[in-house]
Amino acid sequence: MTPVHPRQRRYHRTLTYLGAGILIAAVTLYLALPILALFLRITPAMFFTTIHDSVVSSALWLSLYTTTITLAVVIIIGTPFAYFHSQYKYPGKVIVDTLIDLPLVLPPAVAGVALLMLYGRAGVLGRYFNMFGISIAFTTLAVIMAQIFVASPFYLRQAKSLFEQLDPAYEQTARTLGASSLRTLTKVILPMTAGGLVSGAVMTFGRALGEFGATIMFAGNLPGVTQTMPLAVYVGIESNVNVGLTISIVLVIISFGIMIAVRLIQKRGGEHA
Amino acid sequence: MYFTTKLKKINKHSVPYRLFSHYIQLKGRITKMERLFISRKALLVSIACTLLLATVFFAGCTSSTPQTSTPAATVAATGTPKPVYTASPGNLVIFTAASLSGASTTIGSSFTAANPGTTVSFDLDGTQALKTQVENGAYADVFISASNSYTNTLLSEGYFVNGTVKKLATNYVILILPASNPANIQSLADLAKPGVKIAMEAKQVPAGTATLAVLANLANSTYNQAWENATLANVVTYETSEPAVATKVSLGEVDAGFVYQSTAAAAANGTYQSIAIPVKDNYLQTYTIGILNESINKDAAASFEQYMLSTAGQNILKEYGFMGPS
Repeated sequence: MTPVHPRQRRYHRTLTYLGAGILIAAVTLYLALPILALFLRITPAMFFTTIHDSVVSSALWLSLYTTTITLAVVIIIGTPFAYFHSQYKYPGKVIVDTLIDLPLVLPPAVAGVALLMLYGRAGVLGRYFNMFGISIAFTTLAVIMAQIFVASPFYLRQAKSLFEQLDPAYEQTARTLGASSLRTLTKVILPMTAGGLVSGAVMTFGRALGEFGATIMFAGNLPGVTQTMPLAVYVGIESNVNVGLTISIVLVIISFGIMIAVRLIQKRGGEHA
Repeated sequence: MYFTTKLKKINKHSVPYRLFSHYIQLKGRITKMERLFISRKALLVSIACTLLLATVFFAGCTSSTPQTSTPAATVAATGTPKPVYTASPGNLVIFTAASLSGASTTIGSSFTAANPGTTVSFDLDGTQALKTQVENGAYADVFISASNSYTNTLLSEGYFVNGTVKKLATNYVILILPASNPANIQSLADLAKPGVKIAMEAKQVPAGTATLAVLANLANSTYNQAWENATLANVVTYETSEPAVATKVSLGEVDAGFVYQSTAAAAANGTYQSIAIPVKDNYLQTYTIGILNESINKDAAASFEQYMLSTAGQNILKEYGFMGPS
């Protein structure tokens, strides 16, 4: 190796820093500028007036309500499922594994069509539900089902990999020391995986909140019943730009709020991230 | 190891070896298991590369280039070229109200047959969506609108070339039912029955405004306000374009839907049942066509507009259930 002149080394280093700086600036600006543009296209006065509009408030309420239920269902059912799926081998495990990942790559509109074909009034299963007077499509339940379908992989994959990586020694030690199953779960396993589970839940919440294609296909678009915030933005931006902008800004604020809250929880929570 | 095979000396500097060496126990010969690993991974990588190359190849192949001089009769015969939506000479981008979806393919092929050297690309969507896109900078040569009010807005904002906005066609609203008529709707009065599911366009969509006007007219003339309220309460979805309503009805997911007469007329026999709305209560939707200022193909756009207003174009529209402009 020929010796490198110190000035050459400094030149290389400056170049590296410059290159890195440009890359970081490019990525940051590409992500931040559109968000900034949302805020710049509407005045605060107009924002606070429009937020009382019935379209905005009903979409807001409906979105938060459905997304919370989606999150609750995914966590309550998904956590034990992920635990059993990760700890035990059973026939068809590989297929289940693939199916968990499927909604991630499936286009949401396709998911919506699929749900409609199954649960719709003329659907494969839906026609039997219809005989009992149960109709699912075009209801708030349809919104929740669509959200669960597209958003659950985020939590399930995260929980599954967390439980897989969990050292069984901790659980076994707790059991040998006399803790019951439930106590082991709450005092040993969950605290260790909490950080990762929370971040999975956050991603699920975000994905469910932003779900559009499956919702409009399966649940339709009815203010107060199935018109979630993304639908309201889409419909609103074509007629009343202010409504569209206001809802978009509300969504941005909610997203930021969640991310900050999660960071704070994780920081205070402890070392097991 | 049972299954070692006699292998030729492996080149440790070769790319495959360097890629897969962490799968191989570094001392001794490669076992059959290790060969299997390498071959499986190599297979997956090669499949991925082939798919990637194929995608790139096909994307490159099918990207259309502007056709400048083509032999006369063969343009239509070679099938529809891939649509191009950016400004390109010789290609007309036509923003069209969604209710013309069915008619657009026929219009496209007969226009290009009569005018070799020009291609057309239709961008079909709710008029309200297309108007927003134009206002935000989308490129189009011709704009076919289903609503006079949106046309007037665009006119006042200066998007149209003066004097090119003409009436193209008209359409009435009709009620369609799924072929099996699950809710047994026999007349417009039945729409107010509890439990009936109706699909309608959102009020921003021209067909939606038309439907709301129709309902108001019917309430004033024949039925009463209670009927209108009950009917509106039965709406389960406000779709963002007129064909979406037709789809929901044809799937049988809703009991009834309000669409344009053209959709009902052009559908294959037996897709829908329909209930006509009296002309005196109906809303005549007027379609307009105009050339946009931003067009770089104003001559071709003018001949397209000419074609649409001529007997040939009007006949195609009539074929698809539209009525004449007056």
